[in-house]
Amino acid sequence: MDLAPFIIQVLNSLNFILILILVALGLGIIFGLMGVINMAHGEFFLLGAYTVVMVARVGISFWMSLMVSAIAVGLIGLIIEFLCIRYLYERPMDTILATWGISIGIKQAIILVFGPGGQLVTSPLPNMIRFLGTEYPAYRLFTMGSSIVVILFTFYVFLRTDYGLKARAVIANRNMASVLGINTRKIYQITFVFGSALAGLAGGIMSPLMSVDPQMGMGYLLPAFLAIIIGGVGTLYGVLGGGAIIGGADSIFSYLISPVGAQIITFSIAIILIRLRPWGIFGRQP
Amino acid sequence: MSKIQGFFQLSNRRLISQIIFLLGFLIYPIFGDEYGTEQLTQYFIYGIFALSLDIIWGYVGIFSFGHAVFFGLGGYCMTLVTKQMIPYLTFFHSTYAGLIFGIGIPALFAVLLGYFLFYSRIAGPYFAILMCAISVIFERVAVDWYYVGGFNGIFDIPPLTLSIPKLYAYEITQPTLLYYVILGITIGSYIFCSRIVHSPFGSILSAVKDNEERLEFFGYDVPLYKIKIYAISAGIAGLAGALFAAVFSYIGPTTIGFVMSTEILIWVIVGGKGTLAGAMLGAILVRFLEAFLSGIMAYYWILLLAFIFIISVMFFPKGIFGYLFSED
Repeated sequence: MDLAPFIIQVLNSLNFILILILVALGLGIIFGLMGVINMAHGEFFLLGAYTVVMVARVGISFWMSLMVSAIAVGLIGLIIEFLCIRYLYERPMDTILATWGISIGIKQAIILVFGPGGQLVTSPLPNMIRFLGTEYPAYRLFTMGSSIVVILFTFYVFLRTDYGLKARAVIANRNMASVLGINTRKIYQITFVFGSALAGLAGGIMSPLMSVDPQMGMGYLLPAFLAIIIGGVGTLYGVLGGGAIIGGADSIFSYLISPVGAQIITFSIAIILIRLRPWGIFGRQP
Repeated sequence: MSKIQGFFQLSNRRLISQIIFLLGFLIYPIFGDEYGTEQLTQYFIYGIFALSLDIIWGYVGIFSFGHAVFFGLGGYCMTLVTKQMIPYLTFFHSTYAGLIFGIGIPALFAVLLGYFLFYSRIAGPYFAILMCAISVIFERVAVDWYYVGGFNGIFDIPPLTLSIPKLYAYEITQPTLLYYVILGITIGSYIFCSRIVHSPFGSILSAVKDNEERLEFFGYDVPLYKIKIYAISAGIAGLAGALFAAVFSYIGPTTIGFVMSTEILIWVIVGGKGTLAGAMLGAILVRFLEAFLSGIMAYYWILLLAFIFIISVMFFPKGIFGYLFSED
């Protein structure tokens, strides 16, 4: 029996799940820690991909451009936090609207600069590799490997560093953390920049695999939101679980039915899961 | 004077603003050209839609981030009924039947959705994201379902028709007449909504917005109130959708999905959330500016709109018209 198509399918699913987790991780820490619903997160993903396009024109190597995309989008996040988000910490529902406005603005600015059409990023690793008895594109393996490294790095930051300890204190009890002398505003700022940089990096990593166009961010935003709610807002492990459920269901039903049908089924499953456990699978019941 | 004020429950500033805008809209077709009249007719329909969002968002605090579901559902119901596309129900195809289905089905769907979601204490951002997902699901279904036109939508929808079965039928296509019919429906919806807001039922709704928990301690069944107002709002959105289908003679997946759901947020915020009239005028103003400026500024128009939107969210929670129509 030939297992190759099956293995390729599983690898493709894993690929999608890992990138979704990478996007959701940035979104999840911003939501869980700051209560900010960042509708512009998809556009941060987009900006990461366009940074790779721009840097490639200057002639810097692809691997360097990934670093540049994380740093550049992190800086953009810093500017947005400074100009807009910090005024809205007391009004979390309004952050949905403000960041939605920012997302429209960024998308339109990209259209003005690059045009509405797609850009092509040439894959730095075009060859195939023999892996688990099948031929698989080397770049997709790199995508998975680098996603895992970044996810582990994020966990390290939150579980082992001083900033992570403070950030988790703020998630657990904002007022208490503030009373204990933690500068919550500073933590918010760092968190927003960190989350933005994660989205930028994810966009950069995905740029050779997707058509880089102004609409590319939208496809990840809603699944990422559903993933963090299913997993449980404010838990890092929840993002992994939620991402696996949403990404896995989407891949499986895309294969069995069609991409459109898969989206309908996945979103419906997500809505029912959230209805049954609003606090999330890994979250604690209030 | 005080009797009229009593009827509409208004402060003076509000009353004067309302009369000025009303007179302006009433005499517009006399001075404006036919193109402008047709455009304004369409903007009124968006105004009704904005009104439906404002009554639950501005007054009850439910952020329905997928409100186009009800608008699109109303439009598709109107279309399927008047084009006789529903099997076994083809004898039933007047404008009245279309409106009944176009208002009833979205309201019914809102009741089901309300029972499903409000009793689980899903609120705030969670509800917003779930509604967003629901609107995307509807958009995908509309795109994928060829019987309802698929990606291209449905064209050649019959216009609004005044009829007595088997005796008489008059198609309202004359632009000025259509203008006044739609204006009448718009004013009717506005009065309906402001009566609700100022009724005892409306007081409970604003209590839901202020402090849901305390209201529950007083023994009110808060989710039930939410379901009721959500159904009313969905019915009005469905009415707007049904009128849209008949007036534009077109309905498509974009009207039920994400694009329409987010566009309406801009109208309501820029016009002024929580003032009913502000939201309606916001829809009319933004649509007017779009028609006027998108030709001149091309892509820069959306950039400008996004900027105005962000500034409104951050610094002007009552929007452009909020001051004229707010009660304090």
